[in-house]
Amino acid sequence: MKLKNFMGLAIALVFLLSIALTGCSGGDKIVIGSKDFSENILLGEIFSQLIEAKTDIKVERKLNLGGTFVCFEAIKNGQIDIYPEYTGTGLTAQLKMDVIGEPDEAYRVVAEEFNKQFDIKWLSPLGFNNTYTLAVNDKVYQQYGVETFSDLAKISENLVFGAEHEFFDRQDGYEGLVEKYSLKFRGEPKKMNVSLKYQAIGNGDMDVTDAFATDGAIKQYNLKVLTDDLGFFPPYYAAPIIRNATLERYPELEDVLNTLANAIDDATMTGLNYKVDVEGKNVATVAKEFLNERGLLE
Amino acid sequence: MSGALLEGILEHMAIVSIAVLISSVLGIIMGIIAYWVRFLDSVILWVSEVLQTIPSLALLALLMIIFGLGDITMIVGLVLYALLPIVRNTYTGLKNVSPHLKDAARGMGMSKMQRLFKVEIPLSFPLIFSGIKIALVNSLSVAVMGVLIGANGLGTIIYCGIQSRNMMNILMGAIPVVIMALVFDFGMSKIEKKLIKRTK
Amino acid sequence: MSFTEFVSKNYNEILKSLVRHIELVGISILIGILISIPLGIFLTRHKRVAGPVLALAGTIQTIPGLVMLGFALVLIGIGMLPAIIVLTLYAILPILRNTYTGITEVDKSYTEASRGIGMTNMQTLFKVEIPIALPTIITGIRLSTVYIVSWATLAGLIGAGGLGDLIWTGLSTYNTKYILAGAVPSAILAFILNGLIGLLERILTPRGLRRSRI
Repeated sequence: MKLKNFMGLAIALVFLLSIALTGCSGGDKIVIGSKDFSENILLGEIFSQLIEAKTDIKVERKLNLGGTFVCFEAIKNGQIDIYPEYTGTGLTAQLKMDVIGEPDEAYRVVAEEFNKQFDIKWLSPLGFNNTYTLAVNDKVYQQYGVETFSDLAKISENLVFGAEHEFFDRQDGYEGLVEKYSLKFRGEPKKMNVSLKYQAIGNGDMDVTDAFATDGAIKQYNLKVLTDDLGFFPPYYAAPIIRNATLERYPELEDVLNTLANAIDDATMTGLNYKVDVEGKNVATVAKEFLNERGLLE
Repeated sequence: MSGALLEGILEHMAIVSIAVLISSVLGIIMGIIAYWVRFLDSVILWVSEVLQTIPSLALLALLMIIFGLGDITMIVGLVLYALLPIVRNTYTGLKNVSPHLKDAARGMGMSKMQRLFKVEIPLSFPLIFSGIKIALVNSLSVAVMGVLIGANGLGTIIYCGIQSRNMMNILMGAIPVVIMALVFDFGMSKIEKKLIKRTK
Repeated sequence: MSFTEFVSKNYNEILKSLVRHIELVGISILIGILISIPLGIFLTRHKRVAGPVLALAGTIQTIPGLVMLGFALVLIGIGMLPAIIVLTLYAILPILRNTYTGITEVDKSYTEASRGIGMTNMQTLFKVEIPIALPTIITGIRLSTVYIVSWATLAGLIGAGGLGDLIWTGLSTYNTKYILAGAVPSAILAFILNGLIGLLERILTPRGLRRSRI
């Protein structure tokens, strides 16, 4: 009788304690989110550390939240305040507009529309262009010597294509690409989690994938990146996007995050990605090293 | 990292606890209704079984559309999943109370309510408790999927491990879940046995 | 675009995913049955080992699907193979446990009677115990099937295909139509299999033993 009562009480206490401890979190804080691939997680972490160093604001991280649209929903309904987005994505995937090839124009349009339609502000671009590209494994390159997407189209029926699930439901994704270049891949396209694409190409499960230009794994797997000769993909310049409501509450965030303007070029971003994806370094550590190196934490 | 792990464990337990609490209350009530209102019994049992048959990822995704991202959605999903064992065990337990005892209670002048609370529920309690145990142990496992709909919990560390193909992270998130499931299963089974002895 | 338009536009993709889903479930259940039923029978003849073995299988059951998938991914790789291995492991417990309890709960009077008329152990097994335990075993198969139809939706994460692909796409783009296109067929598949195998259960219950099953 006693033992049963005691155990019951203990279990109940443990439950209540856990509810209580996680339930309370008030006070001044902002939430920084990110998409579910290394680069975006890194950027989210960089933003977080920068803000923590330069302001008194408490930062809650919700990194690795999910795909583009999950983050977008979250920022629209205030579950997150900031996340790193790309101009091309904003333009074609979220605004569902046609591709604008000129980077500055793309930025201008996307910033204007996001502000107008969603009350979200685009801060200064970070400097690099992480465009969608197509990459083939070395074996394919050696065999067919392809250099451009159009070259690929000629021999596409011999190749298996694979990509992350998100790619198949975007304006700037699979359907549009296949139509523009008249691609006809062999069999059904393979779909998998974004983190697995390169492994799949590496062990021959597929031949072509939608690589992100600044992915560290491209070098690791010795992939050949092809040229988008007909200009299907828009430019994808990365920038922090923030809710206007959040900016009104904490106007200092704008200047703090803008210290990153043009601070990261293609090579730098690829290098940081490589450290996380290939060398397996911890995201927080890589972010910190980067910020220290640039003296941005002072 | 251990800070994040502890947070993950607490969040996981909080979500599961709240869900099991709600589904216990709801489930027991539904079980009682199924027992009292004859023509509703198959409907209620059928609804609970249907909810369990729906694939969890599908149910959570659908709930995400309705309730958005976050912990609340996960809790709703867990509640729906936990209903079947609790409803079914409550209903079966109440039905299986010896008719003699029910007659005796009626004979003593007890109202339906009194009979329920003084005789039928106490006697069915071991079975109801067993249903709650099953619900709890299952919920611990299902709650891992919270990471996919923006909820907190140990799923976050596990998913992170999957994406970076880091066995350590996967284990760090998985081991607490399995340990909690085993501990609660064992502990509650022991309590269940004591409850059965008491009602004999 | 309404949902019906979406379905007719993508019906090829949905169908292929459904077929792949059925493949994953079918193969895993088959292998699960081939492993669990003989193992279950073995355990009824070696009862001392039964406890630990069932406990082990039970522990595997508590491991969340994402975790098992993660293990399979790291240890084996991408595609159908790791997915099938995980699904098979999940399918084992319900069938194993039901085979074991189904046979051990056969009324002793039947087994004694069969020994009494000179049946060997094997004959008793195949002519008396298994037929009587069959409904319970089928219940186990039914539970496993519904269970892995559910877990198979996760398999899309590691490139195995199936209806999960549609759900994953919908999840990453917050697209209701994709989610429905994956969720609805998978739920219907689970119901249909649950119902069909449940029917089989009832047909196979020897008339003398028919009792109400919830």
